Formats: sequence, C-alpha cells, structure tokens
Amino acid sequence: METSEKLQKINFLYLLLNIVAPVVFMIGMTVLGLALPQQIGVFFSIVGFGGAMLWWCFLGHKFYEKTRGAQIRKLEESGFVPNHTFNADGCTLIVDLVNAQVALIFRWNPGKAYVRPASALSNVRVDDGRGGAGFLEGSSRVSFLFTVDGMNIRVNTFTSNKRWRMDSDYILTGISKADTMVEALTAAGANK
Amino acid sequence: MGLFRRMRHIFHEDWCSECLAEMELTRKQLYAMPEQRVGHYISHEDAEYYQKALVPVRKKAEIPTGTYACGLIEYRCPACGHRAVKVSVFLPVREEEKVEQVLYFDHGEMLTWPN
Repeated sequence: METSEKLQKINFLYLLLNIVAPVVFMIGMTVLGLALPQQIGVFFSIVGFGGAMLWWCFLGHKFYEKTRGAQIRKLEESGFVPNHTFNADGCTLIVDLVNAQVALIFRWNPGKAYVRPASALSNVRVDDGRGGAGFLEGSSRVSFLFTVDGMNIRVNTFTSNKRWRMDSDYILTGISKADTMVEALTAAGANK
Repeated sequence: MGLFRRMRHIFHEDWCSECLAEMELTRKQLYAMPEQRVGHYISHEDAEYYQKALVPVRKKAEIPTGTYACGLIEYRCPACGHRAVKVSVFLPVREEEKVEQVLYFDHGEMLTWPN
C-alpha cells in the first residue's frame, strides 16, 4: 500500500478554489441580484454573501472531513490498520502498527493519502513550546515533529493565542497526546 | 458537634463524615485505567465502574503513556469505625499529574477493591 509520490502539503489548485470559488459565487449572485427586481435582488446578494461565508467558516472544513474520511476508508480497504489516528489542524496522521506504516493526509491536499514505512521517519520528537523565564514561563503550542522524505512535518496537539503555564491542564493534555503519538511512531518504526 | 468544626470539615477530606473525627489512612493502591485514554476521557461516578475498570499497578512507570491512572485511599475513623474511600482519577504526564476527578465513597460502595 506504500505510495511513492512526492509529499505535497499544499495542493495549490485546491487552496485557490477554496478561496476564489466562494468569491466568484458571491460576485455572481450580486450581479444576478442587480439584474433582478429590488427585493429579489437583495435576497440573491444576501444568499451569495452568506454562502461564501458559510463555505469559509464551516462547509470548507466539513468537505475536508468528508474527503479525509473517504481516504481513510480507502486505506482500510487496502489492508492498512489504523491503530492510532491523530487529527490536527494541518494534517491527519495515522499509524499502522501491524504493517509498520504511517499515512499522512494534509488539510490543503486531502485528495491524497501518503503512505510511508514507519522506519522512513526520522528525528521524531516532542516540542512542548516552553518559553519565557520565571513566572512568565509557559507555552502556547505543543506539537510533535518528524522528518520524512527530507520534509519536516509538525503536528500540533495544542495551540492557543495566549501563553499557558507548563503545569496547566491544556499543556499537560497536549504533552500527553504528543508523547503517545511519538511512542506509537517509534514502536511502528521498530516493528520492521 | 460545633458549627465551627462542621465548617472546617469541608476543607478536610480525611475527617469522618459521621463524627467529624480525624480518620486514619488504612490502605492505598495505584491503578491503571486502560479504557480511558488521553483526549477520550469519560467521567464516571458509580463505584461499579471503578470495580470493573481498574487494573492494579505497583508504580506509575507501569502505566502506558496517555493512559489514565486512579489512586484509591481508604480511611477509617478510630472513634466510630466509619470507613470511606477516596478515588482520585488523574492523567500521568511525565513528572506531573493532571487531576481529572476526585470522588468520595463513604457508604461502603468501594470497600472491596479490584485486584
């Protein structure tokens, strides 16, 4: 099931469509609204604006989740055993301990699932994001990192727009998730 | 019993709920909760669940990463003989502990411990 395609975190066509398609829809509906009688025209403009907003805030992510689900099902059908799955904001990482493989599905390239042998992953580690000194010491991001095909991948287990103490529940949960995934990746790598 | 002592009892987990005397620790044991994993914790308040879900361990290092742990402490009142069990559920993270839930069973629900 291993794939040999070059890792591509972003499919620029997909990204562009996500940004431009709602804009085109919004403009189209507004232009159509201008050509129609006043009240119906206003309604069309609102639908255009609302539709674009809905896509950017909600439907775009739903579409990604659906595509990701289909990719995971396809992987399972091909014999991939998803022992550990971690869904982060930027990508989804799935570890197969049985076949010692790792699958990656990226947020901005959900049409492809990249499968690599777990032994191909190197420099697997946890970054607790610790910064500051004294009472200011804390973190706003916890993640685990690894290198595959010469590309550095960072998977966030916790992010925030403020700094949290290192013993806060959020940070501890993030560290625990990252430790668990690093352990699973290391175990899968050692299986082969 | 004085009102003042009754108020102080709120802040002392090892005071007897019957006679407000200081209880003595009679036994304690650490358990792993293999069903409860980080990010998927489900809170439980019934003693029956803890009787079934706990697996005894000797030390914290035996608990797999990302698995919840549970500490059981039994207290006995030397004055009236009343017994109570404190259940403390936590997530061990390196040297730290993220406490998730603390429960007290003082009607005899947890007097037989899982082993």
